[in-house]
Amino acid sequence: MLGFLIGEALRDLRRAGRVAVSAIVLITLSLAALGGFWLLSSNLKRAVTNWRERVRIIVYLKREPAPSEEGALLERVQRVPGVAGVAYISKADALKSLKQVLGKDASVVAQLPTNPLPASLEVTPAAEGATPEGARALLARLQTLPEADEVAGGVGWVERLSQWQRLVTTIGLGVGAVLAVAAILTVTTATTIILHARRDEMEIMRLVGAPEATIRLPLLLQGMLQGLLGALLALGALVLAHELVAPRLEPLVNITLGLSHLRFLPPTSLAALLIAGTVFGALGGWLARGSREP
Amino acid sequence: MIELHRVSKVFSVGPVKVPALTDVSLRIGKGEFAVLTGASGAGKTTLLRLLYRDDLPSEGEVEVLGYDVGALRRSQVAALRRSIGVVFQDAKLLPARTVYENVAFVLRVLGTPRREIPPRVFDALRTVGISARAQAYPAQLSQGEAQRASLARAIVRKPALLLADEPTGNLDDAMQAEIIDVIKAIQAVGTTVVLATHQARLVQMLRRRTITLEGGCLVKDEG
Repeated sequence: MLGFLIGEALRDLRRAGRVAVSAIVLITLSLAALGGFWLLSSNLKRAVTNWRERVRIIVYLKREPAPSEEGALLERVQRVPGVAGVAYISKADALKSLKQVLGKDASVVAQLPTNPLPASLEVTPAAEGATPEGARALLARLQTLPEADEVAGGVGWVERLSQWQRLVTTIGLGVGAVLAVAAILTVTTATTIILHARRDEMEIMRLVGAPEATIRLPLLLQGMLQGLLGALLALGALVLAHELVAPRLEPLVNITLGLSHLRFLPPTSLAALLIAGTVFGALGGWLARGSREP
Repeated sequence: MIELHRVSKVFSVGPVKVPALTDVSLRIGKGEFAVLTGASGAGKTTLLRLLYRDDLPSEGEVEVLGYDVGALRRSQVAALRRSIGVVFQDAKLLPARTVYENVAFVLRVLGTPRREIPPRVFDALRTVGISARAQAYPAQLSQGEAQRASLARAIVRKPALLLADEPTGNLDDAMQAEIIDVIKAIQAVGTTVVLATHQARLVQMLRRRTITLEGGCLVKDEG
């Protein structure tokens, strides 16, 4: 029976002709748009996660603590809520870092009469301290340390990146949804044409006592086939676009977002796109289910 | 087998009520061959449609093969129809399928095991004398052949009841006789047959129980 139902669904698909092709193309476009934005969004999310992990807050100290005081200070800061880790940077370490940054111009440092750089603490925030609110609260807490002269750092720009990521996701969902509605309606149109073309068959099926499911399942199946074909084409287009575009974009992405490569969608996302296409098609087929007999 | 008790059917055309059947009562026994006759518009087709539950009576009770047709649920309608074969004046063959496929289609939609289909289809085609045309498409058939194919489709499930609505309406005399012979052969193996026709000549030729309708009323039941 399953073979018969699939055979009928394929026959129906051929009957719908160009309208079915239009429906498949629209499903391809909607899922390609959805998948494209998803790809972009997931990579932006990776960048946000990476940058959140790299966020540091610097506490500049009023004076360099004596070696005997360092341990107690670090212990005290470590106990501040929202702190995941803390490292001490002495004045000498700070100067060494500056020399490394200056590279071939490091000789200018030698002309300084004294080391002007303050000793500091490099604080790694815990997860709750990596959010804008958490970071603000942590900055305020660190500011109250008697040894603190100035506290610098924050997660503002990381949050802006995160907002961009959310915007890209929203746009993707919006564009995908509009195209999905168009695709579903086109499947409905294709199915209506099929209903018209197979009304004689449906009449015969009802006349001989075929179960209603046997009469209607091919309609649903052909809709699902349209959706599945559209989804497969969309996945093909996404793979192709990723293969062609990613190598060209990666240097730029590396500089701006700090990502070594643009990662393709994981298998679960690909499966979700395939299921979405099939559901769009099924919905289109179901909407055109037509009227039943009295 | 078939029992109609005070059955009426009224169609509403806007505000106008058009009676198609009025207070019809009759009984047709198992294995019987009944001819339903009357002029066009007498109510023959309406009566047949009530028998395979293509429509519902406005009043009265219709019992077919033990089913109270007016009270059937959708799934029971399908079950009733699986025991009834129906043929029409136009053969209603599916044009994109061969004769074989048209007949096999019925078995396939009813979930008949694949290996059982060819022998049953050819058995039906042989019964109506059209097995040589199994691979022909409807457009390649004469009207008589198309009607035979339609009969094969109706009997392939070996129904208990065969309803034929003007099955010879489009045929010349020779072809009419051939189709009637086939229907008689189907009845001879125990199938109940109800044949509707407006052709008086055919009624005389059949010499079977004849139920005459006039303006939706049963006016004569003889033979």
